[in-house]
Amino acid sequence: MKRILGCAMVVLFLGAAPLLAKSVEGNEYDKGKTLYKNNCQFCHGIRGDGKGPAAEPLLGHPVDFTNSKFWQDDVEKKIEDTIKKGKEMMPAFDLSPDEIKAIISYMSHTFKKAAQNNN
Amino acid sequence: MAGEKIRKVFFLLIFLVLLQLLPLNTAQAVPSFARQTGMPCNECHTVFPELTPFGRIFKLGGYVLSKSSKPYEFPPPLAGMAQASYTDSKGLTSGVAPFDSTNRTTDRINLPQQLSLFYGGRIYDKIGAFVQGTYDGVSNKIFLDMTDIRYSNNTILWDKNLIYGLTVNNSPTSQDVWNTTPAWGFPFASSSVASTPAAGAIIDGALDQQVGGIGAYVYWNNLIYLEGTVYRTARNGITKPLGAGTTTDQVVDGAAPYWRLALEQRWKNHFFTIGTYGMQADIFPAGNRSGPTDRFTDIAFDAQYQYMGTIEAEHMQDHMQMGSEHMAEEGKHIITAHATWIHENQDWKASFPLGNTANPSDFLNTFRMNMNYYYRSHLGDIGGSIGYFSTTGKTDPLLYSSSPVDGSRTGSPNSNGFILEADYRPWDKTKISLQYTIYNKFNGAHSNYDGFGRNASDNNTLYALVWLMF
Repeated sequence: MKRILGCAMVVLFLGAAPLLAKSVEGNEYDKGKTLYKNNCQFCHGIRGDGKGPAAEPLLGHPVDFTNSKFWQDDVEKKIEDTIKKGKEMMPAFDLSPDEIKAIISYMSHTFKKAAQNNN
Repeated sequence: MAGEKIRKVFFLLIFLVLLQLLPLNTAQAVPSFARQTGMPCNECHTVFPELTPFGRIFKLGGYVLSKSSKPYEFPPPLAGMAQASYTDSKGLTSGVAPFDSTNRTTDRINLPQQLSLFYGGRIYDKIGAFVQGTYDGVSNKIFLDMTDIRYSNNTILWDKNLIYGLTVNNSPTSQDVWNTTPAWGFPFASSSVASTPAAGAIIDGALDQQVGGIGAYVYWNNLIYLEGTVYRTARNGITKPLGAGTTTDQVVDGAAPYWRLALEQRWKNHFFTIGTYGMQADIFPAGNRSGPTDRFTDIAFDAQYQYMGTIEAEHMQDHMQMGSEHMAEEGKHIITAHATWIHENQDWKASFPLGNTANPSDFLNTFRMNMNYYYRSHLGDIGGSIGYFSTTGKTDPLLYSSSPVDGSRTGSPNSNGFILEADYRPWDKTKISLQYTIYNKFNGAHSNYDGFGRNASDNNTLYALVWLMF
């Protein structure tokens, strides 16, 4: 009986693990989406194309995340550095490593695919 | 006694200088905005308080753009302002308010002219505010000054950006983002003690802090701005807090609708705007709180041209296609030209039967235009403005009656003249202005306009201002 219960628990765990992983990933995506919406969207745009409402009047222009050139090289490090330190007229943001990771997750899932489709 | 006064003035100046030296922020304008966004003041202002295109977007965005992910932050976004001024015009006396003269309205030196405390920035999530509490050194009163509380969000409509939001404010046009409309129009500061023409449209400052209103706005594709706001008196009811500290002289009966439509177009470094705005208000005659009212209908048109040499000239699309690694080159020249024309119909449904006006209806036409130029040098921002103003209207000897200095011998509201201004912003938190106002016509005439021998040119005013933010 104990063996059956143990096996059932293993099966349950193995079955639930991918779901759990997907849920964590989903949480990170959702968190990133919210962070992107609140901190990035006004300049970089809902579609990540660098055409947010504040893009036109800016000195310099926001990066277009839907351009495949953006996703070359060590892009995650590039995004992280830019968020932490700022670049050109983009200020440095007070975001935690987890929040930056969530934004990168959202951007990769959303805009990288759009960039690939654009090619 | 005199030594004591000088000592107080000296310590006040030292205090203000020390505030300037404190490393409280990276920039200014309303410095709490700069602290919140991490951006320098000149992203939002040419020379404060005039807005750049990005400053307009920041305001429409509800003052909530932030470098933080938190929906609110502690400490709250507070900032301060101090203005000290000197006015030279015929009839003013030398005093050092609030330390000296008992009649501060005739003091040449106003130290301070104004002290303000701001709440400027995000309140919570998508709700932000610009709230100004002011001590007026001339009237010796504390009151709630310009207040604009907003909710703003953005989305995509018909494949283009749409900013939409709500505004609660206490001065018609204070919510506007173009510096053509009265609340934030040129001159951006002026003497509190010099004589000014008697006639003015109600939308031209007469309802500031007299009303409270709520409005909705949309800004689509960085092209079309549309707003509707409804005001009611701040004398009582839900809007009473918006008039805190101000005596409600102009009591609006019921709702007063305000509208605004503007079109903005960018071509390289050039930003063009044309628009219309206006309102209608039923106002009780002075001293009345019930019964018939006078109806004021204001219809205005405005235009603005802004050259931002500080924005790269090439078209943005080119850089978007590049994918981004473009370094902008900062230019040094900024030119802005503003113009507005306001027509007001005055239907004296209450005042005429009471014998307060000679005509059953009157009208006023106000026209103002000016051009600013600023140069961003390594020694600070330097520049100036030249402006022309004119008010014309129907002669009404009861409305504009004869009295010394402020009256009209002819019963005419007509006034016109020029304003010359030089500005210097030596560092982020300080602006120094020298302004000269020249009257060609004042309250209806060039000479002996008041019937007591005073000429329009006697009101020519030299005004020196030191404006500090911290």
